[in-house]
Amino acid sequence: MSALSPKSGSPADCAVTEGHVGLPVLDPPPTAAPDTGKTKNGEWQPYIVGFACNWCTYAGADLAGLSRMQYPPNMRLVRVPCSGRVNPQFVLRAFQKGADAVLVAGCHPGDCHYGTGNYFTRRRFLLMQRLLTFMGVDPRRFQARWISGSEAPKFRDVVTELTEQVRPLGPNRLWREVEP
Amino acid sequence: MKELHNVNVAMRTLARELLESGTVAGVYGWKKGSRPTLTSPLYIQDAAKADRLAYDQYAVSNLSALLLDHRNNDKKRAIFVKGCDSRGVVRLLQDQQITPEQVLVIGLPCPGMVDEAGSLLTKCAECRFPNPVMADQVLGGVEVSKQPSAPTGVTAEAARKVGVGSRAGERMAQVAQLEGKTAAEKEAYWAEQHDKCIRCYACRNVCPACNCRDCIFDTEKKGWVSKAATSSANAFFAITRAMHVAGRCVDCGECERVCPMDIPIMTVNRKLQQDIEALFGPYDAGVDETVVPPLGRYQTDDPEEFL
Amino acid sequence: MKALAKKNLADALALLAGQATVWVPAKVAGVTRFAPWSPAVTLDLEATPPAVSPKEILLPETESLYRYSAYGMDVTFEAVEQEVPPTIIWGIHSCDVQAILCQDDVFLSREPQDAAYAKRRAATTLVALACTTPGPDCFCTSMGLEPAEHASTDVQLHILTDGYGVEARTARGEEIVARLAEKGLLVETIEPPAKAQACTRAVNPEGIDKKLVEMFEHPYWDELAATCLNCGACTFLCPTCHCFDLTDHRRNAHEGTKIRCWDACMFTEYTVMAGGHNPRPGKKERVRQRFMHKLRYFPERYGKWQCTGCGRCVARCPVHIEITDVIKEVGEVTLDG
Ligand code: SF4
Ligand code: SF4
Ligand code: SF4
Ligand code: SF4
Ligand code: SF4
Ligand code: FES
Repeated sequence: MSALSPKSGSPADCAVTEGHVGLPVLDPPPTAAPDTGKTKNGEWQPYIVGFACNWCTYAGADLAGLSRMQYPPNMRLVRVPCSGRVNPQFVLRAFQKGADAVLVAGCHPGDCHYGTGNYFTRRRFLLMQRLLTFMGVDPRRFQARWISGSEAPKFRDVVTELTEQVRPLGPNRLWREVEP
Repeated sequence: MKELHNVNVAMRTLARELLESGTVAGVYGWKKGSRPTLTSPLYIQDAAKADRLAYDQYAVSNLSALLLDHRNNDKKRAIFVKGCDSRGVVRLLQDQQITPEQVLVIGLPCPGMVDEAGSLLTKCAECRFPNPVMADQVLGGVEVSKQPSAPTGVTAEAARKVGVGSRAGERMAQVAQLEGKTAAEKEAYWAEQHDKCIRCYACRNVCPACNCRDCIFDTEKKGWVSKAATSSANAFFAITRAMHVAGRCVDCGECERVCPMDIPIMTVNRKLQQDIEALFGPYDAGVDETVVPPLGRYQTDDPEEFL
Repeated sequence: MKALAKKNLADALALLAGQATVWVPAKVAGVTRFAPWSPAVTLDLEATPPAVSPKEILLPETESLYRYSAYGMDVTFEAVEQEVPPTIIWGIHSCDVQAILCQDDVFLSREPQDAAYAKRRAATTLVALACTTPGPDCFCTSMGLEPAEHASTDVQLHILTDGYGVEARTARGEEIVARLAEKGLLVETIEPPAKAQACTRAVNPEGIDKKLVEMFEHPYWDELAATCLNCGACTFLCPTCHCFDLTDHRRNAHEGTKIRCWDACMFTEYTVMAGGHNPRPGKKERVRQRFMHKLRYFPERYGKWQCTGCGRCVARCPVHIEITDVIKEVGEVTLDG
């Protein structure tokens, strides 16, 4: 498969899809699942997928960037219209595709752009966290946070904290998708 | 079963009348199977076949999901229900998969269902709703009740004797036992169970809560799910299924009964029920059509762990 | 006849496992199915038949066929070469031996042969075990089989009081027997093998393949199908059902692996065509297909029933749609209906 390797996706080109013929542009994250557990200077780095709502958390992340805040580069953000858009399959799919941890983040309750989306998010993921723990997942690997558009420092802290929590856990192999 | 003799006669008479008068286009019930210890689902459209209907302590199948076959059809179908089955019908009504005009629910007294060896099914020992929670008509003197209650009607005594509901308080025993294990043990246990799954979807297809018109697992070409029966894809299926019925599962136990690989699906459903009650307050799905399932509503003061 | 004493069974399996993957009926997470033998495996030779058939050994539920990559016009393919070790299926019953003959018909009897199946089949030796106490849903005798032995196995094991009578039926079988004998694991015996008890269920399929030709539009199917859930329990458990789907394990928009996995005529989307048309739109068409295939099309094409009477579908159909009933009822219905 050497012919393929230079072209295979890496997290860095996550959002980029090259021009091509006849294939869907919107596809699951391009990394081959077994490729995760990236190393930097020979050291394993956690790969974290964050689902961020467009109106608060994503704006908060943007602000953190604009303010040149320093935080670990381990999280790939997926922008969603509302945290209420995140369904259980998003979380599972991220784990299948090699995420070592998943974060769901949105507006503070009461502040959802759509009024009530995140109240449903809260119920859904309070429950799903418990279910995943029941199936042996370390609760640190699946978290949810409310981060508003002005809370850039909170965004920085959450990413930093999550990365540091996951690092000692090592790569997540549970449910990782591999070629049959 | 002698207590049910008159109920059987009444079922056949009623089905015949309903079909002859054109009140309903079809009747869901049971018939005797190939062994005396098997009572299998039956659908009849012809009044002349009403005599094949039979009901006894082996009529374990919940027929409610079969009503989904007619969701695009205006005609009325009659369905015979035990307590647990009636909750399945409420599920379909509440999810607006069928309308009250499409179904005529006939409640039956439940003697408690037994397996072929004659022992009471676990779900029946743990049953809290042995009486229909809704019915347009009843046979055998059974009382409709939306509250957890003791068996009523002609089989009340028989049901009490075999122990229907006697272990209702221990419904979460299997959940508690697994919760007591370490994360590694839990992971190993579920990995072993998920690995067994052959993705036959019997659990989904029998379930009144799995009533999506286009199930995500039938839309493989969209790239979200894999048809591969790998550990990863099987776990994705199991957890997705569980989350999709969370707060809506009516506790009928059919998914676990039909699983050809004997995967303890009810343990997952029960775990979710337990957590829902702890987090959002008591709730019994498929009992009161007017109370929205817990994941479909919220309270501003729900537990907050995401700050 | 040569005999293998029960106490020597583990040694015999260990000896064979030295040079081949030896699949044995075993309890795995509470279910009896075939598993590669190791000292850790819990043998379950009593199950008649094992809940899961040995089909998955020759036709895995999921397998990779080739990898592809497509970047613009730059398209490459690369076959996934599966390692196929020498394989022995130990303790397979007559019904499942017969099922392998059905699979051979499908995958090998006409060109082009199925390469992956052919490779595995060529590496496989069958060691059949006589069935003396049929399970509650067995009816193999009705389908023309003999529970005590099958002519097309490499080795036939017979049941003795304290072991197994060992009879080689092919050169391959001779080889295995010779290896066991060489290690002193076999003795001579004059004990006659146990007789098989009669099958629990009995039906008479004679002539129904012909009758089914006239029954495509018969109202019988409507009633039969009304309670079917269109699940895959019957077909996935069936040792002769062989339908599969070709689909993708996608790594990204450009790269992935073409995989083959079991599919079933009972599934709603099985016959959906590009564009959305479904030639088998309802339960009736799907249920009819399953029984027509087993009892008419397959006999027409290959001259044998595509049901071996193993009873697995009978045992696990959630709504008790039983092929034994179908055979009986098809025999009884009137045709002008
Ligand atoms: S769960 Fe309850 S209502 Fe249902 S069959 Fe058992 S005893 Fe009857
Ligand atoms: S999930 Fe299982 S117990 Fe719950 S409603 Fe569906 S079939 Fe019944
Ligand atoms: S019934 Fe059992 S084997 Fe079939 S899909 Fe459901 S969990 Fe898997
Ligand atoms: S159709 Fe049923 S009885 Fe016949 S071989 Fe298949 S699983 Fe066995
Ligand atoms: S016949 Fe039975 S096992 Fe087969 S698809 Fe129908 S319900 Fe499922
Ligand atoms: S828009 Fe931010 S959570 Fe709904």
